[in-house]
Amino acid sequence: MSASVQALEYLESLPGMVFTRLYQQPSTALAVFRRMLPHSAKTIVMAMLYMTSPIRDADLLCWIRPEAKPEKEQAISILERLHILKVSDLQGARAYRLATNFGQSLQQALTGGGTKASFGVPCGTPGSRTVDVQFLDTFARGRWEAILYYMVGSAGAGLGGDTPIANGTKQLLEEGNFVAMKGGYPVISQEGFTFLLQDVNSQVWRLMIVYLEGTDERHMDHVDVLSFLFTLGSLELGQDYRTQNLTATQRTFLDDLADLGIVYMSEPNRFYPTRLATTLTSDAGALLSSSSFGSNMPSHSPASKGYIIVETNYRLYAYTASVLQIAILNLFSNLSRRFPNLVSGKLTKQSIQRAISYGITAEQIISYLTAHAHPQMQKSKQILPPTVVDQIRLWQIEGDRMSSTNGFIMKDFRDFAEYEDAMKYADALGVLVWKSAAKRCFFVSKLEQMQTYFSNKKQEQRPG
Amino acid sequence: MVKAVKGALVECDASIKAIIVKIDKQRRNEIIIEDLDDETVLVKTDKLEELKRFLKEELKDTVREAEESGSE
Repeated sequence: MSASVQALEYLESLPGMVFTRLYQQPSTALAVFRRMLPHSAKTIVMAMLYMTSPIRDADLLCWIRPEAKPEKEQAISILERLHILKVSDLQGARAYRLATNFGQSLQQALTGGGTKASFGVPCGTPGSRTVDVQFLDTFARGRWEAILYYMVGSAGAGLGGDTPIANGTKQLLEEGNFVAMKGGYPVISQEGFTFLLQDVNSQVWRLMIVYLEGTDERHMDHVDVLSFLFTLGSLELGQDYRTQNLTATQRTFLDDLADLGIVYMSEPNRFYPTRLATTLTSDAGALLSSSSFGSNMPSHSPASKGYIIVETNYRLYAYTASVLQIAILNLFSNLSRRFPNLVSGKLTKQSIQRAISYGITAEQIISYLTAHAHPQMQKSKQILPPTVVDQIRLWQIEGDRMSSTNGFIMKDFRDFAEYEDAMKYADALGVLVWKSAAKRCFFVSKLEQMQTYFSNKKQEQRPG
Repeated sequence: MVKAVKGALVECDASIKAIIVKIDKQRRNEIIIEDLDDETVLVKTDKLEELKRFLKEELKDTVREAEESGSE
């Protein structure tokens, strides 16, 4: 699951009250705007930003080409779920307006003004030590690798895991069910395996969401934490910031972030965001994939990005000496030989299906192999041999003979017209999974928007 | 009045569906909510994991795994 989808799902689960407070910060409004919204939704928000009165649904439709109507429905649905758009009633017609505080904050973020220190307060004076971007990268990489080592090391491979990580971090990994403590030793779980194969940006978001979910137990205000997280995303790499203007909760949070390598504290009152922080709300996050991350470490071999060669006979060669990378490869391949700078092995049905039983998907394996393919392989148009890619997918399907989706079935429609209308609406929203005209029912993955649709329908019918 | 029923939609081959129906019968119909068509059934969300396990066991007996050619 990509980073923004994870964050979006978490945000959607929050109650409306939280959003009212969140959107008071211009940095939050801007971060949500630029990271969470599809382009169609951004266009709608921008058009409505300086509008003082609600706009009718019919008027909004004038801006949208008829063939792009499904996109518009999706955009409106996301905006409503994030409490950016409020639906109101304008002389009996459906109308929208921007949530007041979101509108104000976004205006402030885009055009400046206001005295709120929402985007962080830089330190005016130089610190006792100069900290450059390279140092920050090394620091962040070291901390993040230590966390991954801890998890992989716990896979029982007897590799790595010797870099100490903070107790708070260990606890966080446990809370997220990435590792479970068994007999005093951490054991990696299904979620943990999936976590390992994600790109760094998604990993950071995943851990942050776990942190946010546990804020109540830490006696922290999660709105405070969340809005600070969004602020972090808009800070500048290499710049130092003051901590004086932060709340007590945010300072505790800052200490925990330093343990994770997301910020660096050079002095108690001075912090630098690392690349892990500044890419939180930008699309440039994939810049630090776990291999390029690891390959720059002194203990790791080639400085080049890709190191894996896959042949059409399923044999796999990886030019690496990194225990972390070997352990990851070992998740889904049968490694047989190890040389000082090379490991070799084979992708087999057993090894792939074992990985799948851990909860790793075929797509994750394929994308990992593609992303880390040796430069020689990247020269060809199809990076991995097509036969291998197809076979990995087939091995997955073989183990999994049915697909299931959780959701709701809608049935007992009055007539065919009502069924078709509702079904088309669900399709436009992108929640329609399955339909049967013969049985006059359909299946949706989400119910909330459908409920608003039906209650709107009822209102329309009442006067007539 | 339109009704919404919570559940998990299972899509599979007709042959697999036949096995699911059989499992459901053995379990006194506590898995399936509604039989939708030849390739689709609606099952109880909390019984889904159980169903997957039963299906795997059932298939183990019927489908022969090809021998692994483990040559290096």
